Amino acid sequence: MSGAGRIAAGALAAAAAGPAIAALVPPGVLLSLLAQACIYAILALSVGVLARQNGMVSFGHAAMFGAGAYLAGIGLGAPGLLPAEAALPLAVLAVAAVCFGLGLIVVRVHGIAFAMLTLALGQACFEAANKARGVTGGADGLTVALPREIFGLPAATFQRAEGMFLIAWLAMVALAALAALLARSRFGLLTEAIRENEERARFLGYGTVLPRAAVFALSGGIAAAGGVLYVLYNGFVSPETVHWSVSGSALIMALLGGTRTVWGPLAGAAVYFLLREQLVEVTERWLGLLGILLVLVMVFLPDGLSGLPRRLRRRHGAEA
Amino acid sequence: MTIQILNGLVYGSLLLVLAAGLALIYGLRRVVNFGHGAFYMLGAYAGYTAAQAGGFWAGLAASAVVLALFGAVLDRLVFRALQDRDPLVTVIVTFGLLLVIEDAVQWIWGTEGRSMDAPALLAGSVALGGDAFPVYRLAVIAMAAALTAALLAWLHRSRAGLFVRAASLDPAITAVQGVNTDAVAMLVTALGAALAGVSGVIAAPFLSLSPAMGGQILVDCFVVVVVGGLGSLGGAALAALLLGQVQVLGAVLLPDIAALIPFLTMAAVLLWRPTGLAGKRL
Repeated sequence: MSGAGRIAAGALAAAAAGPAIAALVPPGVLLSLLAQACIYAILALSVGVLARQNGMVSFGHAAMFGAGAYLAGIGLGAPGLLPAEAALPLAVLAVAAVCFGLGLIVVRVHGIAFAMLTLALGQACFEAANKARGVTGGADGLTVALPREIFGLPAATFQRAEGMFLIAWLAMVALAALAALLARSRFGLLTEAIRENEERARFLGYGTVLPRAAVFALSGGIAAAGGVLYVLYNGFVSPETVHWSVSGSALIMALLGGTRTVWGPLAGAAVYFLLREQLVEVTERWLGLLGILLVLVMVFLPDGLSGLPRRLRRRHGAEA
Repeated sequence: MTIQILNGLVYGSLLLVLAAGLALIYGLRRVVNFGHGAFYMLGAYAGYTAAQAGGFWAGLAASAVVLALFGAVLDRLVFRALQDRDPLVTVIVTFGLLLVIEDAVQWIWGTEGRSMDAPALLAGSVALGGDAFPVYRLAVIAMAAALTAALLAWLHRSRAGLFVRAASLDPAITAVQGVNTDAVAMLVTALGAALAGVSGVIAAPFLSLSPAMGGQILVDCFVVVVVGGLGSLGGAALAALLLGQVQVLGAVLLPDIAALIPFLTMAAVLLWRPTGLAGKRL
């Protein structure tokens, strides 16, 4: 089977698993946790796409996530202006477009400097969300009333765990499949070549800024899609959503899972949420334990958990 | 207005001590310590506990010692072990440390804010142009100036300082000359962590203690070292004092956008002159 066929088959199988999980898990706290996990997994996916294709580590993706949430919330709050069916995709497209413009500039910054820049820009967005009271409601946040129906689905579907889990799951699978298809396309290979050696790619005659900016835009759009689902589910968004600790959590998920594969960050998000749920039961110190886990993974498993099978195979091959 | 400028100078002085440590560690290890704000917070809390037993100055000394040890261990176990890996890996490890330290501080000291008294000698206030200004804040400026002067003297007048400057310029050549660059790096990481701890204690009497205190100042610190140029103490000093003024004057003159100015300045400098206003390329 060709690579694209494998991705399609994997995505279909994963999509089919969604209803099965929803049927097996009793509605309640756990399903609500899974719905949240899927939404943050989309954010982790966006961080992972940027790391995988551009080799860039972002400490500021909560800004795109929050921007998607705020734009969707503002759009839903003005139903006379735009129908919800237009406002939600527009929120994602607007964030992607801004990220493309921003990307043309910021992808020229590399490595640690990029990490610091994203942290600073993310905090700038946090400050802006706090300060622009007229638009964002300031520190009090923005409460969003959903219209009675969106895309033919009753509003309650989006705000109940059973409904949102399925929607977020399917969105997560679709976005991951899109990222995987793009990664193995000509465009994806080109960005990987630039990631490995930008100068050589330029010598081969490729422009290197546009593809990298396009990846940044894609990553921002994916994060914004997560933010849109967040505001639909919670009916509320506040500057806390844009805080750098959210960016940090998303980065932890992506790195725990590993960014060499597209699905790594999704696995990382699952581990993050399930581990947190288990740890909270026994200790309040879960954040510290998570930090220790992050350090251990970075030191001993730089490819993350999703790199584990490959690593084991290689070790096995060496012994044989 | 004089008061505002002085307040800006106080915050700038604090940033200067903190950013000096960050720049020193970067110079030797080529790692931007994302845990630097957490070191500052840990130092403040360690000093707080020691100060309850032996007063402010004991707290200051204890914080320096504790954080220096912490820095030395960090360099030995983490920075040295990871020096051949992608610097981003080490950066993320320092981010993991930040989480561990923040959590440990909450565990030991709880989440409620604490406050620390200025030493009796520096309590009270003086009249400046008709307004009362706390003596302690003037002392902060003096302490920061003294620490910076001592650091510069050490770097430029002592043999160890010479090794530090040489190793941050070119570690390989310096090692070939017979300098134990690993020992130099360990010393510098310990010193950088100690400076973070000391600035935490200095800040404690006028900014209250909380587990979140490290986050905000870390971002300001990044702005300082990026604008000033990483690894450049002079540039960092200038940037720290400027940022202090921008923070305080901006809050008075342009309250709506003041909070954004530092970040936008940082972004502009990174893009326009990635080496900072005076310094090395990242």
